[in-house]
Amino acid sequence: MTDGRAGRHGRAGPPWRKVTRRPLALTMLLASLALAAVAGTGLLLRGGHPGRPATPLPAAATQLVPLGRPAALPRPAGHGQVPLPVALRIPAIGVRTRLIRLGITAQGTLQVPSSTSVAGWYTGSPRPGAIGSSVIAGHIDSYLGPGVFYRLRLLRPGNKIFVRQADGRLATFRVTGVHQYRKAHFPTARVYGPTPDAELHLITCGGAFDDATGTYLSNVVVFSAEVRLSHSYSTVRSQPETSCYSG
Amino acid sequence: MRRLRRPLALLAGGMLLTAAAVAGPVGAAAAAPAATGYGWVRLAHLSPNTPAVDVYLYSYGMPNAEIVLHHVSYGTVSPYEKVAHGEYTVAMRAAGAAPSTKPVLSTNLMVHPGHAYTVAGMGPEKELRLQVLDDRLSTPKGQSLVRVIQASLKEHRVTVRAGHRLLARDLSFASVTGYTADRPGSVPVHAAGGSENWSGTVDLTAGSIHTLVVLDTASGLEVTSLMDAAGSGAMPAGGAGTGLGGTAPRPAAPVLPWLAGLASGLLAAAAAAVWLRRHRTVARHAR
Repeated sequence: MTDGRAGRHGRAGPPWRKVTRRPLALTMLLASLALAAVAGTGLLLRGGHPGRPATPLPAAATQLVPLGRPAALPRPAGHGQVPLPVALRIPAIGVRTRLIRLGITAQGTLQVPSSTSVAGWYTGSPRPGAIGSSVIAGHIDSYLGPGVFYRLRLLRPGNKIFVRQADGRLATFRVTGVHQYRKAHFPTARVYGPTPDAELHLITCGGAFDDATGTYLSNVVVFSAEVRLSHSYSTVRSQPETSCYSG
Repeated sequence: MRRLRRPLALLAGGMLLTAAAVAGPVGAAAAAPAATGYGWVRLAHLSPNTPAVDVYLYSYGMPNAEIVLHHVSYGTVSPYEKVAHGEYTVAMRAAGAAPSTKPVLSTNLMVHPGHAYTVAGMGPEKELRLQVLDDRLSTPKGQSLVRVIQASLKEHRVTVRAGHRLLARDLSFASVTGYTADRPGSVPVHAAGGSENWSGTVDLTAGSIHTLVVLDTASGLEVTSLMDAAGSGAMPAGGAGTGLGGTAPRPAAPVLPWLAGLASGLLAAAAAAVWLRRHRTVARHAR
């Protein structure tokens, strides 16, 4: 090549050209193939999806109800006796998760689980099964697919929710309502405010997704109240066990 | 260099098309909240010299009771029962009396949605009456609310303090104070009548509402703390960030940009391959 002899097209390049061009051509080839691959993948995934609901609810016959001794009924007094919650089970929508603890973020918002596959109990709220509005939050989805509360919005009044407590007992709740609220108008008092009975409020996201901020614009909240075994609680006499610690 | 330009242009064009196809808008929809039509009622027996009773809660005008509490004795307070809003009748009969018998006492109450009520049999036996108390269901931020029901007949007037705070001064038998806001925590409570008194500790939690009931016991006075309602002590601001969008509804992107990207990519790859092969040939010739 030192003589600068002409190539097939009668053009003679200086000696450095073929040295630099081959890697360049290789890079071009690889880049083009990568582009084709990206475009091909995009074509395949282009269809997106219709959003929730994606899968039907399991048939009633396959809904396994957890076993366990029922938790003690909430008492008008004796606060703080209810054990900590450890697991959540919602047979109607196939939810089965352990419960982590959630606090408040530095911004003052509710901390959410770092994993999208577990739910968490907000430790600032009453324990599930104690008098008051207990709050459990979980993700509807991750970046890729469904999260632990993907089908939360499909719950209907009457569906049962079970919370296993640290002593192994189950607190049983019955769904009373499922509502969707814009986050800009979140009903803080209704979700976190005092209730006179043992309620469990489940929170996840819903509605439209804002790609600009990477957040859903709404929250789905499921309201449920603890199931009492019977109305004959006249034996729940406050006096013996609810008297304040004698001083 | 002319040959190099064409694949480059194709590459650039394909990439632009691809970028345009990836950035797409997303549709929106939202549902409106609905109001709940439920309230709460609890029933209490707070008349010291009245024997045990059966308490019935009827939806107004209905012959069958929705709730029956059997053998409710002095000092008993039921948990709250969630009921549909509307008018109700509470009736008391002597324990064990047939539901068909005329009640000893009855009263009507209107249950408003989202409100809670305590219906208590109060006063001495001869002047027993059913009193309907409106129970509060919200607290000042981070605070606790406390009120006192004086149900001691031994001491007609009782003064109740929680820490340094005076909750009730000379509260007469069968009466109720309003709510007082207090700092949450374990609070020493002192109740004193003319001769009897009681001291103890009451746990007041943030965001919760309590009723202290002064009762007669065999040995004297006693204060029972009832949890009326409880919520979160610290209320998180706004909604919860519980979704990352992986299942959010998205409209399908058009096919054409992707096809164009694929085609231009393949074309550019072909061009680059031809180019590469030619230079191999050139290199071989040169040897």
